[in-house]
Amino acid sequence: MLEVNATKILGDFTLNVNFTHERGILSIIGSSGCGKSMTLKCIAGLITPDSGTITINDKTLYSTDSKINIPARLRKIGFVFQNSALFPHMSVYKNIEYGISDKPRKIREQAVKDIIERTHLNGLGKRFPHQLSGGQQQRCALARTLVTEPEILLLDEPFSAADGHTKHILESELITIIKHNFHKPVLLVTHNIEEAYRLSDRIMIIENGRCVQTAAKDKVIDHPASVNAARITGCKNIFPADIISSSGKETIIKCGEMTISAAGIVPDKDNIFIGIRAHYINILSEQTSGINIFPCKIIEVTEGIFSTTVITECGGNLFRAEISKTSEALKVFRKNKKLFIQIPPEKIFFTTE
Amino acid sequence: MNGINLFPLFLSFKVASASVAIALITGIPLAYFLSRNKNRLSYFIDSLMNLPIIFPPTVLGYYLLVLLGRQSHIGKFLENNFDIMIVFTPLGAVLASTIVSIPYLIKAAKVSFEEVDKDYINAARVMGKTETVIFFTIILPIAWRGVISGVSMAFARALGDFGTTLMVAGSIPDETLTMPIAIYNSLQADDGKTANIMVLIMTIIALATLFIISRLSYKRKGERNA
Repeated sequence: MLEVNATKILGDFTLNVNFTHERGILSIIGSSGCGKSMTLKCIAGLITPDSGTITINDKTLYSTDSKINIPARLRKIGFVFQNSALFPHMSVYKNIEYGISDKPRKIREQAVKDIIERTHLNGLGKRFPHQLSGGQQQRCALARTLVTEPEILLLDEPFSAADGHTKHILESELITIIKHNFHKPVLLVTHNIEEAYRLSDRIMIIENGRCVQTAAKDKVIDHPASVNAARITGCKNIFPADIISSSGKETIIKCGEMTISAAGIVPDKDNIFIGIRAHYINILSEQTSGINIFPCKIIEVTEGIFSTTVITECGGNLFRAEISKTSEALKVFRKNKKLFIQIPPEKIFFTTE
Repeated sequence: MNGINLFPLFLSFKVASASVAIALITGIPLAYFLSRNKNRLSYFIDSLMNLPIIFPPTVLGYYLLVLLGRQSHIGKFLENNFDIMIVFTPLGAVLASTIVSIPYLIKAAKVSFEEVDKDYINAARVMGKTETVIFFTIILPIAWRGVISGVSMAFARALGDFGTTLMVAGSIPDETLTMPIAIYNSLQADDGKTANIMVLIMTIIALATLFIISRLSYKRKGERNA
């Protein structure tokens, strides 16, 4: 169980994070410079917060109240850096052995041999870091961390150096190794929501140094806690909304010139916004009966590999829809016919600024 | 080389080696301190390190004389308590060439310590290592080329020092007469042959130093590309 409550001021940037994490993988997501990596470094003891407390399994690592600040080397924390940070002058074997060099030789040799097997680095022990592929480097970085038997594993954008195809392979490799060999809390810093969703159980959103939301991943996607949280989770359609009426099941809102029916729960706050993800919006070629169907004007159509992005204007709002390339509406659109958008009420979420 | 007194050559080598040894022992920790700390004190020490390069050698020698001469507090203290005399002794020559050469070592070492990626150091920290262990197992092995190039430059500078050594140690034949001063003396005495041989030796040493330094920086680039 990790408990973090830390504040650190650096110039005009203030980091103020407050969260707990018990088991599984927690992804920390946010735009660059929001304090994600800094949070990891505070936990690891590489940056000292100005105030707060950090505890792991009831062991206090840092506390301003009781004047405790355990140095990084005694915290028993596993850290995998963005660029692997393997020591360039040491072989794979020496890199892995480095963290347990104070143990008796027999135990050391067995542990290194064991972890090399588990991280599929067999036969690479004598190689130097620059002779390894990106994936092998990160596996080696993971191996040398796991061999020290840390209490928690911190991964700082471990896949960002890899590109496209290799990235997916590396991701699944590392996560499989972690899931099989490490059963304590894991924090994964990333700026990619897809990655966060694929790999983790819970997601924490940091914005300008503050934790905006920490929840199960589906909750974060379905109910982002703020407009920015919604943007960070990849929501493209967010609009300010006026509540007209709200009953238990249905909420009527006015959004520009549109009157929309929504099914979500309205937060009891001012400045309400609604959001709907691009792939939930349908584009129809003719007006069928149903709710939330509006005539729209197509502004822009961008073809992707697997789907087509359509930007439409509707009642003074710009909607971005992600639709199938085989969509009937697209064919109609090419014939310059009038189109309609449909917004499923149950897919609309409410949020605030 | 009959008839040529090689004492200045050997003395110069002994003095330069001793100077570099002292420069290493004191300069490496200082360079490490300067590379890790960015505050007023470190900036002050850093600029102070430039003084021996900026000052005219005779001026520097003059200050050392004032500071360490037999009439100064330090000089008196050393003479009365330890029977050590610095001025006009080989020890004075070592001190003079240490002072003029140490900035080159510190600067080169500091830069190469700074170039060591912070993530390596942080990785070693979370892997349970103390700062001292990290220095010897990570920082020094990664930065050694810079240190060696600093040592070569410091050695060359120490070997070639003229003005400061002359001021502090004098040019007592077979006692404190180093090579650069011997070259000057032999030219003064119209002994062109001795001067030529000594100049040749000094030139070879200078070129060898240059070769070592460029070789090291070339290899460093190659390693990065690999």
